[in-house]
Amino acid sequence: MAASPLKEEPAPEDCSLLPLVYDIIKCMDKDSPDVHQELNKLKTKIQEAREQIVAMPGIGMSPEQQKQQFENLKEQVRTKNELLQKYKSLCMFDIPKS
Amino acid sequence: MTAPELCSHRVASYLKPQVILELLVQRDGEFQELMRIAHEQGKVHQEMQLLEKEAEKRDTDIQQLQKQLKEAEHILATAVYQAKEKLKSIEKARKGSVSSEEVIKYAHRISASNAVCAPLNWVPGDPRRPYPTDLEMRSGRLGQMSNLSTNGVNGHLPGDALAAGRLPEVLTPQYPWQSGDMSLNMLPPNHSNDFMLEPPGHNKENEDDVEVMSTDSSSSSSDSD
Repeated sequence: MAASPLKEEPAPEDCSLLPLVYDIIKCMDKDSPDVHQELNKLKTKIQEAREQIVAMPGIGMSPEQQKQQFENLKEQVRTKNELLQKYKSLCMFDIPKS
Repeated sequence: MTAPELCSHRVASYLKPQVILELLVQRDGEFQELMRIAHEQGKVHQEMQLLEKEAEKRDTDIQQLQKQLKEAEHILATAVYQAKEKLKSIEKARKGSVSSEEVIKYAHRISASNAVCAPLNWVPGDPRRPYPTDLEMRSGRLGQMSNLSTNGVNGHLPGDALAAGRLPEVLTPQYPWQSGDMSLNMLPPNHSNDFMLEPPGHNKENEDDVEVMSTDSSSSSSDSD
């Protein structure tokens, strides 16, 4: 997925924790000493995900509310454009044809 | 099943690895879905910010236009008011119009006294002036009243003649322009023939009184002094 120009947001598939869990289970099966390392990776991944979620803009409201607000803003801008166009093209006086 | 039995059944079922893994996969799917929605909301939020900036810019434009329209309205209102005042003046002048003949007649009468232009035969040395001179002021009513008060001090009763509303014969006017007829057809006051006569009641004591009103002697060529 395309990243935003201002801030790189993680793609949804990058947020999956399953690969890390799989690595942990594999290490446990092999009785590898890297189990703790894998667990730390999982913890770090979860912490990073938390920080990214906190920094995400626009998630203070539900998608429906945000969509409604977006429509309102669009309507506002459209109305103001129309008003400006109306007043700029308004001619109160009948200019006589010379 | 009772609540404790339900809890024990759940704990037993949770202990199975397969169930745990299924739950884990389900949770991971939900988490990914939520992250995708959050990602979409972030994009919408950016577009909303752009729209807000555009709305602010439109607000500024509208305020600017409003200010200009207000200014134009003020200017036009002033112009309309002044035009209406002018129309009122025109209507008023039309109602109070004076015929040109009357204006010319009046102008002729004003200029006949030589107050706006010297007489055609006026030469330097001519005692005539476009304003009352010393002699004329002394021979006028003010000068005569001063003479009356002075004569009263010398022994005459000042109030007798004044109370009667008339002047003594010695103080009666002797100049053509001092006649009782004060119509507009009167001739100019400055006649060279009558000018040589001394005004009645003239004395040095009145000179100081009249001096304040009289002209500067340097500018006058009269021989009264």
